[in-house]
Amino acid sequence: MAVRVLRRTVMNETTQLRVMDFDCPTCASTVERALSNVDGVQNVEVHYTTGRVEIEYDDDVADPDAFAQAIENQGYTPQPA
Amino acid sequence: MNAQTITQYYRKNRKAIVTASSGLLYGGGWSLGHFTGFDTASAGILILAAIIGGYDIAKTAYYEVTNRTLGIKTLVTLAAIGAIVIGEYWEAAAVVFLFSLGSYLEGRTMRKTRTALQELLEMTPDTATIRRDGDLQEVPARDVEEGEVVIVKPGGKIPVDGSVVDGESAVNQAPVTGESAPVHKADGDEVYAGTVNQEGALEVRTTGAGSDTTLERIIRRVEEAQEAQSPTESLIDRFAKYYTPAVIVLAIGAYAVTQNAILSLTLLVIGCPGALVIGPPVSIVSAIGNAARSGVLMKGGEHLERAGKIDLVAFDKTGTLTKGETTVADVEGFGVDDDEVISLAATAEKKSEHHLADAIVDAARDRPTAATDGGTAIAHSDAASAEHRSVPDPDDFDVVAGKGVVAHTDGHEVVVGNRALLDDRSIDIPDHIAEYVRGREERGETVVHVVRDGSIIGVIAMRDELREAAPGVVAALQDAGIETVMLTGDNERTASAVAGEVGIDEYRAELLPEDKQTVIEEYQADGHVVAMVGDGINDAPSLATADVGIAMGAAGTDTAIETADMALMADDLERIPYAVALSKATRWNVLENVGLAVLTVTVLLAGVLTSYVTLAAGMLVHEASVLLVILNGMRLLRH
Repeated sequence: MAVRVLRRTVMNETTQLRVMDFDCPTCASTVERALSNVDGVQNVEVHYTTGRVEIEYDDDVADPDAFAQAIENQGYTPQPA
Repeated sequence: MNAQTITQYYRKNRKAIVTASSGLLYGGGWSLGHFTGFDTASAGILILAAIIGGYDIAKTAYYEVTNRTLGIKTLVTLAAIGAIVIGEYWEAAAVVFLFSLGSYLEGRTMRKTRTALQELLEMTPDTATIRRDGDLQEVPARDVEEGEVVIVKPGGKIPVDGSVVDGESAVNQAPVTGESAPVHKADGDEVYAGTVNQEGALEVRTTGAGSDTTLERIIRRVEEAQEAQSPTESLIDRFAKYYTPAVIVLAIGAYAVTQNAILSLTLLVIGCPGALVIGPPVSIVSAIGNAARSGVLMKGGEHLERAGKIDLVAFDKTGTLTKGETTVADVEGFGVDDDEVISLAATAEKKSEHHLADAIVDAARDRPTAATDGGTAIAHSDAASAEHRSVPDPDDFDVVAGKGVVAHTDGHEVVVGNRALLDDRSIDIPDHIAEYVRGREERGETVVHVVRDGSIIGVIAMRDELREAAPGVVAALQDAGIETVMLTGDNERTASAVAGEVGIDEYRAELLPEDKQTVIEEYQADGHVVAMVGDGINDAPSLATADVGIAMGAAGTDTAIETADMALMADDLERIPYAVALSKATRWNVLENVGLAVLTVTVLLAGVLTSYVTLAAGMLVHEASVLLVILNGMRLLRH
């Protein structure tokens, strides 16, 4: 998946995904919680209004493919940002 | 179609498939029970409909409960399970199906507001033709390095930010600035990624590519603005946090008192805060998206809500109502040659950065060299060319803020400034000169006096043309019931003449930069909600003081965007009535949505308590109200 990766600090990477089919504000919070439970994720922001998902994670621990999976498990479709 | 494509298709359309299956089973189960009386079979199919439609909802509800964020899906799941437990299979299936259908439609509609900005990004081409190692190569646009030259064909989209190094063309900048008219571009002019080259071929030296372009930066800011909560939104969010648990408590209480299970389950369904929570964000996101496509950057819902209350717009004169290109209209020597007046003034003003100083120095340089007087020798510096006269440096110079300059050159003291500066220095102005000055000022011109060793030798009248759009914009605001005020450092007579030309309600003249801030505070103290329009750099303090600061021509400058609440990407005054009207429409739209949501819940609650409304009907009305607020909010996309 073509994901834009920006290097922020030595340890942490950030990546963005886009979810276009959130149907309620609480759904965004649920996805946010689900993502923060993924191993190695340091910080997550999920925005209902724009569908933007921003994940800051520890490169050594987290597997970026798991992010998309976590979103799919909640019933939403992740896309590259 | 192989297994893999079927799986992909299912994953992509899961919601639609689930909703449709649940709906079909629901219809089938209901018909079976209604027309044939196979009650057990009917009940089985209805339960199946509830399970298929409800699986995803229940899963999210489980997450909500384990994360202690009780939401709408928890309420729906509780209601459906409850209905099955008490044997109301039809109600359970109906609630689940209607909710899935509603969510599916809501997701689809919201996608439209979410993609409004993506369309802008898609304007940027994926590849760029560059000159690398001596020949032309096609490379991905984001891989173009700073300093590389990109070739843009006529009719092609510009792939990078940069400055024109060769060629001449008209460029449609609408994606970045919202301007509909193409802008002429030649050597040295800046161009933006995502804009369209219309006529000639251009060679552009790259200053930014990929995510480092003006368009990308604007879109990032717009998204941040859309994500920032407005005061109404955060108020509702805080309310919603306690609201859902309260609904559950209410449902349990209702059951304890009435022993009526249907009534308490219906309370769960209609108690969902859907329309209330979704309405305001949809209104604001749609409005910000609409504004962005018209070249107006709104900083966020908070600013938008405030802008909806504007009742007075203050304009800075120079560069806002006028073009900001001051030129010398007339030079009049009294007892000395006109040329000598302008040369002396130019020397005194040469080191000043004031816009009037620039006009005087330019005018002196553009005078024909043939008329050179003894005092100004043609220097062979880089500034001097065959047609341009050079302007010598003064020996020393001092700026008197808001009044003028005092300089020394060739043993003379030269004062260039307004009446206030001459009064300060007790320099008399003879009547015939004062008369001449008054005449120029009544035409809206700004006049400076040129004084050599204590006596006036001439005056210079300068003019800054009005923007053609200015009178129309002021009239449009007045029609909308908004007061207009012009703030300027010019003197009373000049200000009055310009205000008359623009048709503005009120003007405040002879203001020093810091006075503009005080004037705005005065209007605020009178109870006005004030918007201030300025260039965003010189006017930063007054923009910050105003309730809504509006910066013009912000595409190139980040400072302007920082200080302002709204930024016009182009120097397009006509966007102001639009932005004000959009803000007002947004404020109403938010109120309509909140009103509609509260009304729906109130009517439903009354219906439930009087037993007119049961589960399915309650869910239908609830979902309808959510869709209605979304559609109402989305009207702002087409404002």
